[in-house]
Amino acid sequence: MQIEEKLSLLNYKTDKGYEHITVKPDICAVCPDHFCTFACPASCYTLIEGKLNFKYEDCVECGTCFFACSHGSVAWSNPKGGHGVKYKFG
Amino acid sequence: MSEFDAIVVGAGPAGSSSAIKLASSGLNVLLVERADPPGSKNVSGGILWGNELAQIIPDWEKNAPLERYVLSKGTGLLTEDSLISIDFRSKKFEKNKTGYSVLRAKFDQFLANKAKASGATLVTGVTVDRVAVKDKKIIGVEQDGDVITSDVVILAEGANPRVAIDSGLRKPIGDRDVAIGIKEVIRLPEATINERFNLRGSQGYAGEYVLGFLPGGVKAGGFLYTNKDTISIGAVVNSADLRANNSTYSYNIMEQFVTHPFIAPYIEGGKVEEYSAHLVCEGGIRSVPKLSGDGYMIAGDSASLSFSNGLVIQGMNYAITSGIAAAETAIAAKSRNNYSADSLKSYDEKLASKYVLEDMKTFKGIEGVTWSNLMHKAVPKMAENIFFDLFYETGQPKRHLYEILLESTAGSGMTKSQLILEAYRAARRM
Repeated sequence: MQIEEKLSLLNYKTDKGYEHITVKPDICAVCPDHFCTFACPASCYTLIEGKLNFKYEDCVECGTCFFACSHGSVAWSNPKGGHGVKYKFG
Repeated sequence: MSEFDAIVVGAGPAGSSSAIKLASSGLNVLLVERADPPGSKNVSGGILWGNELAQIIPDWEKNAPLERYVLSKGTGLLTEDSLISIDFRSKKFEKNKTGYSVLRAKFDQFLANKAKASGATLVTGVTVDRVAVKDKKIIGVEQDGDVITSDVVILAEGANPRVAIDSGLRKPIGDRDVAIGIKEVIRLPEATINERFNLRGSQGYAGEYVLGFLPGGVKAGGFLYTNKDTISIGAVVNSADLRANNSTYSYNIMEQFVTHPFIAPYIEGGKVEEYSAHLVCEGGIRSVPKLSGDGYMIAGDSASLSFSNGLVIQGMNYAITSGIAAAETAIAAKSRNNYSADSLKSYDEKLASKYVLEDMKTFKGIEGVTWSNLMHKAVPKMAENIFFDLFYETGQPKRHLYEILLESTAGSGMTKSQLILEAYRAARRM
């Protein structure tokens, strides 16, 4: 089963007005490892034609990317107002 | 005058246990949870060990949403071609139940509702940003610029403790503190689960595996727990080795585990209901921060209070125990009307006198063993060589076990002296 299919099973209450995680594109542009793309279990970080692409909508709020990035690009906060992932089983 | 005696941040096992104890002792408690409903952002490795909940919910075994009790505890080594496993099942576990599988969305909601029923004020869908500080003293919590005041704050936010980190109460989490946990919940008929795992009624299986087949120095463990009519299956990936490798996707390791030839049949035909990920505290005592200070205490995963020796992973029981200990400390502090660092220091002492810190100190350095090359690379390969040699009939004269053992070390990827040294270290620490 592909990761995209697994993620599509999840429920989210997406906060359209607030990105709880942000990255600094200038840091990512010169990143030597892009470890975030391998570490993130929700595949929120991908390389598209060599350029880092980040989407917060699929985030499951595990916190992996915060320590995975050793270059200071990732700013991490919890979603607000009950937004974000909603597990039914956990 | 504070608005609350205590504010508890996070309604997981640590926070809700703390709030139940505080509220049922008559304290005015605010329990703040960012998920709505509580439990809907929580994920567990799966088994609640021990009987700690009895202290605050005497009838928990009857009334909590438990899935199955652990009758059978499996430990397995997986190589590309083989599974070497021990399945310990005992009638003794029928009488003395030691662990239950739980699904946290249901279980944590039950605990949070208990806290509410005990008199705590439960607020959900509210994200605390940081602790509120005045004159270098913690006076409550801050949310979107608003301050809610309390005499003491108990942080029980789980394995990704943003409030503690952003308030400077603990160092940011690093590779050595946590592993990346990935899990799937797979639905199967109850009768099918019973058949596949040789179980009856509410009997359950809990298995831990070493994924010894991963290439490129990557290390991960696997777990498989039976629920009533679902299976929780997951991988726990070592962060430092994944970084060193830097070409393996964490979620592919999970997929490799569930498609392994001797794991896949367990879940065959099942419907994947949910995919999830969560950090797993794996740093041992070295990761535990300062546990208390002026006006605050840290409990559960937020304080890295968990235990894993590769055979068993425990966290929820440590969370419950530390949550109750924090509550007892706050109750005593209220009677003294003293919430200073000195007064709350008895929280650290309580944890040291209970099994929580005792275990973590006894097993200091255990993470170096559970994540060693010996356990993840050499031992699975050697075990495979030994058992294959023992059981495979070639029609040739048989050899002594000792010879087979010696030869098996050759295929382990480690020299004999390395093996002896690492085995000695492992034996000392386990």
